[in-house]
Amino acid sequence: MTNTFPPPGFIPTASAIPGIAVYAPAPEETEALPEIMEFKCPQCQAMTAYCVADGGLRCTYCGYYEPPARTIVGKGAQEFEFTVETLTVASQAHGWGETREDLHCQNCNAHTTLPPGRLTHTCPFCGSNRVLHQQAPQDELRPRFLIPFQLEADACRPIAEKWLGSSWMTPKALKQSTVAGFTGIYLPYWTFDAVTRAEWKAEVGHQQQERYYDSGSKQWRTRTVTVWKWESGRVRKFFDDLLVPGTAHLSRVLLRNLQNFDTRALVAYEPQYLAGLLAQAYDVPLEKAWEEGRETMRDATREACRDQASTSQIRNFSMALDFSDESWRYVLAPVYIAVYRYEDKPYQVMVNGQTGAIAGQRPVDWNKVWLAAGALVAPGALLSLLGMVAIVLGLLLPPALGVAAVLLVPGVILLIIGGIIAFNIIGKARRMDDV
Amino acid sequence: MSESAGWGTEVHVTFCPQCDWHYVIPVESAPPRCPRCFAANLEHLTSNTEQLPYLRPPELVTPFTVNKATADQHITKFASGIPYAPRDLNPETLRRRVQPLYLPMWLVDGDVAATWEAEVGFDYNVVSHQERYSDGSGWATQQVQETRIRWEPRVGQLERHYDNVVAPALEQHAALENALGAYALDNAQPYTANVLERALVRLPDRAPDAAWADAAPAFQATAGEECRQAASADHIQQFRWSPAYTDRHWTLLLLPLYATYYLDDDNEPRPVLINGQSGRVFGVRRASIQRAQHTALIIVAIAAVLFLLSLVAGVAGLAMPPLLVVAGIGGFVALCIGLGAIIPIFRAWQFNRRPVETL
Repeated sequence: MTNTFPPPGFIPTASAIPGIAVYAPAPEETEALPEIMEFKCPQCQAMTAYCVADGGLRCTYCGYYEPPARTIVGKGAQEFEFTVETLTVASQAHGWGETREDLHCQNCNAHTTLPPGRLTHTCPFCGSNRVLHQQAPQDELRPRFLIPFQLEADACRPIAEKWLGSSWMTPKALKQSTVAGFTGIYLPYWTFDAVTRAEWKAEVGHQQQERYYDSGSKQWRTRTVTVWKWESGRVRKFFDDLLVPGTAHLSRVLLRNLQNFDTRALVAYEPQYLAGLLAQAYDVPLEKAWEEGRETMRDATREACRDQASTSQIRNFSMALDFSDESWRYVLAPVYIAVYRYEDKPYQVMVNGQTGAIAGQRPVDWNKVWLAAGALVAPGALLSLLGMVAIVLGLLLPPALGVAAVLLVPGVILLIIGGIIAFNIIGKARRMDDV
Repeated sequence: MSESAGWGTEVHVTFCPQCDWHYVIPVESAPPRCPRCFAANLEHLTSNTEQLPYLRPPELVTPFTVNKATADQHITKFASGIPYAPRDLNPETLRRRVQPLYLPMWLVDGDVAATWEAEVGFDYNVVSHQERYSDGSGWATQQVQETRIRWEPRVGQLERHYDNVVAPALEQHAALENALGAYALDNAQPYTANVLERALVRLPDRAPDAAWADAAPAFQATAGEECRQAASADHIQQFRWSPAYTDRHWTLLLLPLYATYYLDDDNEPRPVLINGQSGRVFGVRRASIQRAQHTALIIVAIAAVLFLLSLVAGVAGLAMPPLLVVAGIGGFVALCIGLGAIIPIFRAWQFNRRPVETL
């Protein structure tokens, strides 16, 4: 028993029985943040902002620098269980820890949260200036951790220009385009940990040679048959920090391409990290994001199960999967977003603010694509056509049949190969166009 | 000496000169046989009962819930299935000798002031998922909820009065509980003098100071449970406290019991006890070696007679040879019957070899 009563750090709490006093540990004191935080330079009263190069607050006028209270927590960042209460609250609210001004874009319906004092703004998603003020929502689900920007905004431009010129499918004029005005924004992400345990069974096909008597040729021959055997197995997979975007306003394809964030760089949330930057609260609730995360996990587990089979020929596959040790985090991840215009149409570009990975929309020059596809198919088609003509001639002039064979065989082969390559090019162009 | 304070009627303290158990009986009752050893009749205690350190009036009584009829069924079951049972071990005799009896337990009241610390647990539910996949029907998801416990430290102070914390009042209490099963104490009723009209009351042989060693943990368990409730928690563990007890008051709780006995081969009484609440029976079930030997002797006698007749037939067979065959068969049968005489003794011996629990 402790000598002093109550022990340090304990405070009185409600007791349900008279005559018994109960003391509980005092809740951890969290610094009460003002509803609106202003980041002003103590020297010149100008605005300070988060400086990526220094990793702290810097005044752009007098150069005053204030280092942040950086606490790298990395993968040790606190994770939370899927309690019934959490899921209920998370489905009803959007997390934010600081009263900020939320701008609603009438053009693309995106919600963007702005730092205090910033009333005019260009929507980073569509470039539109038509925005309205709304009150930002508040709730218990605050972002507790974030990955700070490690890439300066200036570095995005050369990355974007290199990327614009990296594909022959884009219009030639695009190579001369410039993407400017990269806006740093913290995007909401959910991270999920879980262990999956699966038991599977399936019929697995094994190729075997067997001899049979061909009554037609009256000879013994060999043929390949598939023998199906039941197999089963168990798989245990651990998923660590699976990232699922907490915003539905950005293209999932682009976000997926950007998603190589390193959660070892997670730091405890401090408002200073957001000074002068944009940040977006989640609009994909926890339960919905977890559903997406579970889909990813179970598909990966299914693939692991199928990989256990002794061959890749599988049928009647079934499995039972249990999730355990599930946990989640709500984090902010750094992204630069810019919009450039080509032929009066806006295109979005995103750069991972931690790793510099880039993803974006690019216009497709379909003339080039069709031309390339035609050029690939043309030799085969031409040879095949000549071959057909030679066959027709061969009916009159039998020696022409030999020429027909020489033309037709490589022609058909080239046509098939060219067709496959052209099909892939068109598919790739479609995917690029659909982002 | 007669005594009335707290008992509601004039009572005598009696004792068994054989086993020294002390009982309280109403003054108008004749001292019966000691219901513990059944070896002797109880005798009145002639010395001053005030010198008896443990003579405290009862406060609560756990009533008999097994009536005579049910007790009879248990007795009949006890007495059946014993090979060559002693003549005295029969349901009728056992029923006739049944003596209702109350065993004592200490009840302690007291005030406690303490500081305490513990870990209290709060239940909460988490959501998990189980999934099934098959090529034909795709994924099927089932949401499951599981309850987990969140443990948190708590400390506190306690100033409470506790009533009727129980502690054993007999040195043999643990053995009796082991033999007869635990008593449910939640249906205890206030003591009235009527209790003495139908049963003897056994007096404690364990001093309150000695019983305190068992009462203190009971106080701690009661306080721990109250602290859990005070903290509005679902669980409590590692409860520790530093109590200061004042104003302790000791009374008795009476537990119901039926006692009867049978006489074994040596004419020694063998007690049989029946829990007055659950009907569980405890007693030593022994086969009678004497009865087995008696049966064996009868078999041997029959074998001897048959052997003699065979012998006579054998002698006559010298003159009339066919009788030799009868003599041979008769001799063989006599031998077999003679060997069979071992069976009763073996059965009784084997039955008595079974482990026997004693109090």
